[in-house]
Amino acid sequence: MQKDASLDAKGLMCPMPIVKLAKKIKEMQVGQVLELIADDPGAKEDVPAWCQRTQNELVETKQEGSVFYFYIKKKV
Amino acid sequence: MANVKKVAIVVAEGTFDKAMMSLMIANTAASMGMEVHIFHTFFGLKLVTKNANPKAPGMYRLFTGMFKKKMKAVGVEDYAANKKMAIELGVNMYACGTSMGVMNVKAEDLDPGVKILGAAAFLNIAAETDMQYFIG
Repeated sequence: MQKDASLDAKGLMCPMPIVKLAKKIKEMQVGQVLELIADDPGAKEDVPAWCQRTQNELVETKQEGSVFYFYIKKKV
Repeated sequence: MANVKKVAIVVAEGTFDKAMMSLMIANTAASMGMEVHIFHTFFGLKLVTKNANPKAPGMYRLFTGMFKKKMKAVGVEDYAANKKMAIELGVNMYACGTSMGVMNVKAEDLDPGVKILGAAAFLNIAAETDMQYFIG
């Protein structure tokens, strides 16, 4: 997956991955893709919910063991 | 965003758990692009005073440091840092005017940016919100 930036939120639990994600996306340009890496089990539901609410696009999600990789395209 | 969701939170207790809960919801909501309003009343009032340092409730008070340490280990900072974050994220903080009188809190004791309101003014704000939470 092509990405423009990466944010490692491993070890962080709710709400920190979402707070950091929001801050990071704000710094990026529309159309760019952010890779978010998280191992908070809640992130699996939280990140899609954040994308839906903020109208950004969750392009791809993958899981390796207990680690999630989210690819989020900034839309707004 | 066209349709900004609004959240109203009332905090009526000043213990560590209630304090953290209110700001974790507030900071998440603000990070999701929502508009957040928090009204601090009764024992919740002291949370918006300078140098507020809430303790865990009852006998757990003694374990406040342990809670803080465990939360820090998962990236959640202490109450003061969360409050600073809330202000940076544009969360609106209010102090209940009546509680200030009852609890002897002066306007200059409040954190900068905290607005003093009565119940009617807060209800007027809450009436326009999509979600309302009471933490007490």
